[in-house]
Amino acid sequence: MKLYEFQGKRIFKENGIPIQKGNLLTSAEQTNQIPPPAVLKAQILTGGRGKTGGIRMWDGSLEISKLIHDMFSKKIRGETVAAVLVLEKVEIIREIYLSITFEWEKATPMLIVSSEGGIEIEEIAKINSEKILTIPFDPFMGPTEYQIRYIAKTIYCKNFQELKNIIDAVYKIFKNYDAQLVEINPLVVTPKGMVALDSKIDLDEKSYYKHKQLFESLLKEQRALQGINKDFKPYKLDTISYIPLSGTIGLISDGAGTGMLTLDLIKDAGGEAANFCEMGGITDPEVIYKAMEIVLAKPGIKSLLVVLIGGFNRMDEMAAGIIKYRKEHDLKVPIFIRMCGTFEEVGKRIMNEAGIPTYDDLLEAVNKAVAVIKEE
Amino acid sequence: MSILIDKDTNVLVLAITGRAGALQTRTMIEYGTRVVAGITPGKSGLTVEGIPVYDFVVEAVRDYQIDSAISFVPPRFAKDSCFEVIDNGIKFLVITAEGIPDHDAVDIISYAKLKGTRILGPGSAGIIAPGKSKLGAHPSRVFLEGHVGIVSKSGALSYEVGKTLTDAGIGQSTVVAIGGGPIWGLTQREIIKLYQEDKETNEIVLLGEIGGRMEEEAAKFISCYVDKPVVSLIVGRSAPKGKSLGHASAIIEGDKGTVQSKVEALSKAGSYIARTPTEIVQIIEQIRGK
Repeated sequence: MKLYEFQGKRIFKENGIPIQKGNLLTSAEQTNQIPPPAVLKAQILTGGRGKTGGIRMWDGSLEISKLIHDMFSKKIRGETVAAVLVLEKVEIIREIYLSITFEWEKATPMLIVSSEGGIEIEEIAKINSEKILTIPFDPFMGPTEYQIRYIAKTIYCKNFQELKNIIDAVYKIFKNYDAQLVEINPLVVTPKGMVALDSKIDLDEKSYYKHKQLFESLLKEQRALQGINKDFKPYKLDTISYIPLSGTIGLISDGAGTGMLTLDLIKDAGGEAANFCEMGGITDPEVIYKAMEIVLAKPGIKSLLVVLIGGFNRMDEMAAGIIKYRKEHDLKVPIFIRMCGTFEEVGKRIMNEAGIPTYDDLLEAVNKAVAVIKEE
Repeated sequence: MSILIDKDTNVLVLAITGRAGALQTRTMIEYGTRVVAGITPGKSGLTVEGIPVYDFVVEAVRDYQIDSAISFVPPRFAKDSCFEVIDNGIKFLVITAEGIPDHDAVDIISYAKLKGTRILGPGSAGIIAPGKSKLGAHPSRVFLEGHVGIVSKSGALSYEVGKTLTDAGIGQSTVVAIGGGPIWGLTQREIIKLYQEDKETNEIVLLGEIGGRMEEEAAKFISCYVDKPVVSLIVGRSAPKGKSLGHASAIIEGDKGTVQSKVEALSKAGSYIARTPTEIVQIIEQIRGK
């Protein structure tokens, strides 16, 4: 779950990271309390606001209410502006980039630091990747003193303790909130010390059960600002992942890898999948029932291909789900099922008795499903 | 030899009394896996398929020599139960749960490294040494004892390719599914290293997918250290950009993580490239001079 800048900064403040004085306006009618010169920042969840009119300076010569009204009235990067943050201007000596995230494939947390902040890290990487320092650290100890001393040297920071306090706070937020990313860009050096001018925090939705209250209050706050007041289910509870595509062959698989393989095989056979739908590891008959509902709801589907090679997924339960769906719905398209795996004898018998053929060979099932389209 | 497990591996099952745990204990025993004990806190004294259940790992290791463990513990209790396995000196642990919070997964893997336990997963469908033993839910009839070592992210894809090879009469030394990520204990690179060292493995099959850089890392290793033939299949050729396909990390962002970049890296490293499971069979037959 991505947080708005103001939400992230609230967490920064609670954890002792210095931020600018500011004032959050949730509508154009609210009165601003910050005197000029100030910075107006549109609150959206997508990055790169600066380039698209999402950040404006206010020197006092224009009426601020007009600027704020302007900001609320347009979409930035396709997103409705949820709020406007008015911040006092600070004197910037230098801009630094600082974040903690995971180095995913090495299964370790890491610090990313650059002496050249203020632009997106991807941009810094393009211009001058040597300016970026990545430091993996132990998840139990957090960043060590020597690592922070090394960072201080690399980014020309003279006040070690001040930098350490900020890095320690970023690490604490990263760990305690189950964040996937805590980024300060830029962290600026001012005559009065370091200040976080922006915040980017991304929380791990898989940890929802650990922080139920916090996640729900943050999400409710976001939805209220976005004008979504409906009841919400914070996170989907099933394991189905569904992505619509442009073809006409409905596809359901019980694994991501075989799903992707089947997409490729469909294309090789001259067909095009209408979607990618992977059920994940839950074996309930309800899951395949629901997957069929989702996939067949899309208009224009001409055949349905179900690719099952179950380990955890039980074929008897998959068969039960398919039969239940067929009993309750008018199945208008031909269905091709590759069934293989745990309890496949039972599964195949159930399908057989219902008069639905099953295939053992994946290519054969794919070719049959594609042939139906070609015949038309 | 197979890698990581063999016919004499003594196995502990975590959450053995749960739905998945009990069923898979049965299929593992039927396959010949030496399941010696199980854990479910509060259920000591019960048996599952004749296997004794303990409350704590420390109680099980008092009665049995345990080499490996497989966990069916749900995500929210995963970290603590993995720590318990690691603390008791068990050297190989398969974690099947998907959806473990990232920080928990990183903590488990870091702690395991510190204490010398190898982790397969999280989100792993397990490992099978055909004809010998399996830790996981593999449909056993699609595998055949032999000399091809398979490493896959996806469990189902490892079954699929196992099946295609088996149907063609080509057996496997071991088949390993490392999980869909985005965080992994054992990586493709580490499994390939084990296959390179394994006397029973003659050819290595690498099953990769779009997203991330793990296949590129494996390619680097292959080019420097592997002299056995490697056949790679990367799935997701026809995947749309910017969409995560089932596995959290199976996503193409910009030019990164594409099939093309992986195929380039792997073929430069000397790997054969297959576009489909059938092509893997053809390439292996060619290598073997059939």
